[in-house]
Amino acid sequence: MSKRIVVDPITRIEGHLRIEVDIENGKIKDAYSSGTMVRLIEEILKGRDPRDAWAFVGRVCGVCTSVHSLTSVRAVEDALDIVVPPNAELVRNIMHCAQYMHDHVVHFYHLHAMDWVDVVNALKADPKKTSELAQSISHWPKSSPGYFSDIQKRIGNFVASGQLGIFANGYWGHPAYKLPAEVNLIGLAHYLEALEWQKEIVKVHAIFGGKNPHPNFLVGGMACAIGIDDVSGLNAERLAMVGQLLIEGKKFIEQVYIPDLMAIASFYKDWGAIGGGLGNYLVYGDLPTNGYRDRTALKFPQGAILNKDISKVYDVDLRQDEEVQEFITHSWYEYAGGEAIGLHPWKGESKINYTGPKPPFDQLNVEDKYSYLKTPRWKGHAMEVGPLSRVLVGYARGVEEYKAVVDKALKDLNVPVTALFSTLGRTAARGLESVLSAQWGMEFYDQLITNIRNGDTRMAEMSRFEPATWPQKAVGVGCSEAPRGALAHWINIEDQKIANYQLVVPTTWNASPRDSKGEMSAYESSLIDTPVANESQPLELLRTIHSFDPCMACAVH
Amino acid sequence: MATKYLHIPRLRRIYVWELPVRLYHWLNVLAIIVLVATGFYIANPLALMSQKEAANAFTMGWVRFLHFTAAYIFFFNFLFRIYWGFVGNKYANWKQFIPTSKRFFKEIWSVIRMDILFQKNRPGQREHLSIGHNALAGLTYFFVFLLFLVQCLTGFGLYAAMSDWWLPQLFAWVPAFFGGDIVMRQVHHWAMWLFILFTVIHVYLVFYHDYVEGRGEISSMGGGWKFIEEEFFEKEKPHTPNPHKP
Amino acid sequence: MNSEASKKQPTYYEEIRLKGYSRRDFMKFASMMAAFMGLESSAIGQVVKALETNSRVPVIWMHFQECTCCSESFIRSSHPIVADILLDMISLDYSETLMAASGVQAEAALKNTLEKYKGKYILCVEGSVPVAADGVYCMIGGKTSLQVLHEVAEGAAAVIAWGSCASNGCVQSAKPNPTSATPIHKLLKGIPVIKVPGCPPIGEVMAGVIVHYLTFGKIPELDRIGRPKAFYSKRVHDSCYRRPFYDAGLFVETFDDENAKKGYCLYKVGCKGPSTYNACGVMRWNEGTSFPIQSGHPCIGCSEENFWDNGRMYERASAFSGFGIEADADKWGKVALGVTAAAVAGHAIATNITKYKKIHELEAEGKEGEKDVIS
Ligand code: HEM
Ligand code: HEM
Ligand code: NFV
Ligand code: SF4
Ligand code: SF4
Ligand code: F3S
Ligand SMILES: [Mg+2]
Repeated sequence: MSKRIVVDPITRIEGHLRIEVDIENGKIKDAYSSGTMVRLIEEILKGRDPRDAWAFVGRVCGVCTSVHSLTSVRAVEDALDIVVPPNAELVRNIMHCAQYMHDHVVHFYHLHAMDWVDVVNALKADPKKTSELAQSISHWPKSSPGYFSDIQKRIGNFVASGQLGIFANGYWGHPAYKLPAEVNLIGLAHYLEALEWQKEIVKVHAIFGGKNPHPNFLVGGMACAIGIDDVSGLNAERLAMVGQLLIEGKKFIEQVYIPDLMAIASFYKDWGAIGGGLGNYLVYGDLPTNGYRDRTALKFPQGAILNKDISKVYDVDLRQDEEVQEFITHSWYEYAGGEAIGLHPWKGESKINYTGPKPPFDQLNVEDKYSYLKTPRWKGHAMEVGPLSRVLVGYARGVEEYKAVVDKALKDLNVPVTALFSTLGRTAARGLESVLSAQWGMEFYDQLITNIRNGDTRMAEMSRFEPATWPQKAVGVGCSEAPRGALAHWINIEDQKIANYQLVVPTTWNASPRDSKGEMSAYESSLIDTPVANESQPLELLRTIHSFDPCMACAVH
Repeated sequence: MATKYLHIPRLRRIYVWELPVRLYHWLNVLAIIVLVATGFYIANPLALMSQKEAANAFTMGWVRFLHFTAAYIFFFNFLFRIYWGFVGNKYANWKQFIPTSKRFFKEIWSVIRMDILFQKNRPGQREHLSIGHNALAGLTYFFVFLLFLVQCLTGFGLYAAMSDWWLPQLFAWVPAFFGGDIVMRQVHHWAMWLFILFTVIHVYLVFYHDYVEGRGEISSMGGGWKFIEEEFFEKEKPHTPNPHKP
Repeated sequence: MNSEASKKQPTYYEEIRLKGYSRRDFMKFASMMAAFMGLESSAIGQVVKALETNSRVPVIWMHFQECTCCSESFIRSSHPIVADILLDMISLDYSETLMAASGVQAEAALKNTLEKYKGKYILCVEGSVPVAADGVYCMIGGKTSLQVLHEVAEGAAAVIAWGSCASNGCVQSAKPNPTSATPIHKLLKGIPVIKVPGCPPIGEVMAGVIVHYLTFGKIPELDRIGRPKAFYSKRVHDSCYRRPFYDAGLFVETFDDENAKKGYCLYKVGCKGPSTYNACGVMRWNEGTSFPIQSGHPCIGCSEENFWDNGRMYERASAFSGFGIEADADKWGKVALGVTAAAVAGHAIATNITKYKKIHELEAEGKEGEKDVIS
């Protein structure tokens, strides 16, 4: 007989996620993923000015801040046939790279690390040995014995105070923790360091977008005019600061994040066989190098992989009616056309209809509807999106940059390529693409400087900004690769207003409930067969769920 | 044909608008003209492609200065008019603006009948009933005074953030009342249009009355005098609420 | 390591000494803190005393309908930095974003603090509460956020509403507010709420509000709508470095025009700085790096109530909500003016027709009188 375990709230994620699993013989037999908060921002957008949409959808999420705004201005520009100047494209790319760097580092240290790092055990480490170990894996200067012993003392006193704060009730001492005390101490020290670091890299957003979280965007380009002879424009000082921040950011990723990731991964190789899930991977592509419209010149190439078959990559077309569709069979919505149909987002509907149990409740009725997420499908297939999908598609497409980082990581860890289809693979892929993003950020930065030096100071294309210049009806789709995966917004504009606006979001793909055929999405499917050593301490479940970096505010919006 | 009307009435001269009311009125007209003009500019300033350095220009600053100066004049003038509503003559009295009697409503109806529905009168009856403003005008001015109040509240509410003086600070509560400066500013802007609409109708009606009644309506705001037929005066005993007589 | 392991909690001073800092370091920290809060040097003693005698204040941080960018902004604070806040100043006992424990263990940690520190903990709320459909649009652990809010607010020593969501309802409460997203002060009748609006608020402002409470043991002075005066008493426009361009009447006409490159005022492209109360112009964002206007985008008024429904972003605030987007005041004003003018003209014509006789009488009367004038 299987036993239903409910984990709600899932913490160290963004938003409100509830997981219900059936456990049998120490393994997860069945899983249900439910998003329990909804705002209906798609409904709120109706009737508004398309140029304002980026600000509304930006507020879908403050963790992957900026990505919805970026996607929104792309959708509107697509609908209104606006091509942004190259500088604007570069600035957007640089901001996007900075977002990756920030989001992935914060995820690794602050949202994911405590699944692998036993904080209490770190107190047992020998600072001298820790220092030696740290220096053997990285040149990062902060790695003296004194440094580690200070941290250890600080945390020791913190624990001794009896007020454990965020560490209270953790699963410390759980048998699934495998790291030596010294590695735990390094992880803990870098938890604190990364907390300080993360506020730096986002200054790139502040310079171009005025603030972070929620930097500003603009339909037609960017608002940060280039004024090399003005104190308020992008001048030498502002640009130098961006350069500096990118260099420092890259250093941290290369010298702290990646060494830590590899060190920790080497103790958890068994997780290279757990949590694989669907085996279908979807990427829309991003970081255009020849303008957004050229879908072949992208740093993140687009494509889809089915059944872990990386010998074949399918092209993706977001305009086709049958490619992306959303289902609501198990979602708390209703479609005018009935329960079983899927809708392409240009025809999407967001009519809410809660039919779940009356709160307070203990269990959801998973046979019926059980989540505020809709269920997206690509040509009918459940797909996983995210770092792993991007890395696999890049690798499968034979892109050199991907081959280099992936092959090196596999070699260092001494695992086969198939280990990528797993919880560990997901977590590793996130690190690998962080390195690439940091590199690419620098590349885009150099191009921006070159452009300006060559006299191109355009930052926005304003000829179609005024509503009077728009057609009476227009449709558009904008896509991006958000840190958590493929993201797209579909817009219908009528009479200069938004007639319909639909977001299909990475975490919607991954965390959605079953579809009309009863097939699971990525979270549910990847939980199947995960071992659970102690039913009352669902640490293993958290590992796999966290490897996706859930963002529920995004997923439901 | 004209012989039919050869009878020429004797006109009685009545001092209606005292000097303070006249001064108030024209100061008010002036302030409002300035406020509307500068208000439009503040809402949508011209595109000055001036090559001047910002430090050498103060265009917006001057416009706003004018607006605020006119606003103070407008405000104190308004206060003064309220005061005069208690100490001035009966035509200036507050009771002219607020319906306090059945007669007031009867008069409103009569004005509507005559001036808006163009109904005919009993033969031989002159159309005007009042000597100061007619009751409908009085009630309209009451709403206009409310509009003044709204404009002062929202205006000084906005101004409170720019001044430490206690007077504007008295209005510091207003933004919260309206749900923030943004809404309050919109109300202030919309209200301006009501001023413009009132002025158009008001000025037209002043001319209208002068035209169809021939009693020197327009000039009354200049010299203070209105004229009324002696005969009518004796017969109808026009009444106006007189607070000075118990 | 379980939260039962409670001993006597050390004060900041004890803690800082335990960490190996000297009394001198401690004094330095205290005076920095005082300076940060803009206090006279005479007040340093007060800060020192506060830090010497208070143990870490328990904080419960709830997430309802929100996007977590308030949490994100909080961790961007650079003075004090968040690691120091978390380890030395507060005890963040419940935070779905950061806490190690999930599910039942998380709920147990919450319950522990609610009971053990009744009347002593600070409640921070990020997000609005949906009240439609009995609250089912936000549920945590099978309860509605409405139920949870009342549970956690009851024993709080102070309640902080983070961001525009908790203090004004923010984007999800924009029209038509399909979930009836409600700011928390409307639900917590009788419990004072410190509102820290902004979408999100500046990190240092958030840290500053907490530090104020810890240092002085009381909530900061609030304005009449419940915002700390220290950060919300001035409009963005009052401290905007582009203000001289505004006063001069020099404006950006469209984005990326010559004027934009010269950093002119953004008023005509819709800047809401003149009607927005926030510290952006003074403190700026991300350790003083920039703020929206400095990066060329108008202020969208993100700390103001209902800023989503107050007209289009790129126009001066002339549009009224509820009329659809093209209904701006001047358009309606002009229409009304046209209608009025037409009515006046119609009335004038009708007057001349219906009162023809009367006007003639007056004219005749006048002409008759005129006859007696000696010419
Ligand atoms: C007939 C009366 C008035 C009219 C027609 C008028 C009109 C206007 C208009 C159209 C605006 C621009 C609003 C916008 O941004 O769209 C404005 C702004 C303003 N008005 Fe008035 N106003 C009047 C009286 C007052 C009064 C009595 C005050 C009191 C101090 C006042 C203070 C202000 C202030 C402070 C502003 C904002 C200026 C700025 O922020 O630069 N106004 N007014
Ligand atoms: C050229 C323009 C104007 C002329 C010739 C004019 C003339 C007059 C006259 C003759 C009266 C007395 C009529 C009566 O009470 O029945 C009057 C009263 C009044 N007018 Fe005007 N007016 C002018 C403009 C304005 C403007 C712009 C305003 C304000 C927006 C205004 C506001 C008033 C008010 C409030 C009264 C009532 C007087 C009182 O008892 O306080 N007028 N005006
Ligand atoms: N899922 C998701 Fe996002 C991301 N990355 C956005 O599109 O997190 Ni808030
Ligand atoms: S107030 Fe704004 S920033 Fe804060 S949670 Fe709400 S939407 Fe996000
Ligand atoms: S940019 Fe905005 S806040 Fe700054 S002066 Fe101009 S209107 Fe004011
Ligand atoms: S948009 Fe918000 S961040 Fe500041 S400048 Fe305006 S209040
Ligand atoms: Mg959607």
